[in-house]
Amino acid sequence: MTIVAFNHWLAATTFSQFIQRTHGAIALIQILHIICLATLFALALSLALRLSGRGLASETLASLARRFVPAIWICLSLLLLTGSLLIVAEPYRTLNNLAFYVKMVLVIVASLLTVRIGALARNRAEVVSLPRTAVATLYMLIWCGIIIAGRLIAYR
Amino acid sequence: MQWLQGTALAAAVAEVWFPRVECLHVIAMAMLAGTIFIVDTRLLGLTSREHSFRYLSERLLPWTWVAFTVSVLTGSLMFMSNATGYYGNSAFRLKMLLLVLAGLNMLYFQFVTFRGVAAWDHGHPPVRARLAGLASVGIWCTVIASGRWIGFSL
Repeated sequence: MTIVAFNHWLAATTFSQFIQRTHGAIALIQILHIICLATLFALALSLALRLSGRGLASETLASLARRFVPAIWICLSLLLLTGSLLIVAEPYRTLNNLAFYVKMVLVIVASLLTVRIGALARNRAEVVSLPRTAVATLYMLIWCGIIIAGRLIAYR
Repeated sequence: MQWLQGTALAAAVAEVWFPRVECLHVIAMAMLAGTIFIVDTRLLGLTSREHSFRYLSERLLPWTWVAFTVSVLTGSLMFMSNATGYYGNSAFRLKMLLLVLAGLNMLYFQFVTFRGVAAWDHGHPPVRARLAGLASVGIWCTVIASGRWIGFSL
């Protein structure tokens, strides 16, 4: 089955039709998607700042990661749920779009970096080093890239 | 509005730069709203209770202000590119009204409620502070919603 044929099939499903025909449903899902994204971005920023020795410096990295990494995973799960609903509602807008696939690759990279940062935090060493600052900077650049790719989906 | 929309800068944004400006606007919005949510949930007594409210807000609010500045700059450029369209759009007008409300809420908190912060800085904030936090979360979620709705109604 080609992508085009899959899009036709998905857009014709009862669930997709329900979302498409419910007034405001797509807008509401997008709004929830953006609110989760904003929350995740700030959590990631706080973690990245702490990793490079800034931000909430009075709290150990291990403690901050114990609080913020699970919250990041919760936000990411909600983003994947709302994102999946948007794909079901408008498959042509996403599955035919290079920006969407770039975004998904960046989401995978961001997830792997979240795991890495969690591991760095667990070794309990409060070391501020160039590699850690580089990881923190890369982490935030990836999240910015995800936002950019997400917005560019609309510009196909 | 038509004069503003007819300027060279507005034309450049409309014809070339709009996607880039919009992406910066969304990044700034994410930082702005996200940092506000972290501070407000502390004000509600729900999260980050390890830190005093003053410590958390002093560490995060500078980033909020940077994000707000970028949001205003990028938002102004976007507005200029289609001033007549945005000006007449009810979702855009609602968003501007909500931003004023958010500012008033913040000013009231800063000049009234915050004066007694020493009494609750490390503990559970009083009802007035929690109401300010709840109002702030509600207003900023609605700012995001009205901002997204502009795209559907323009």
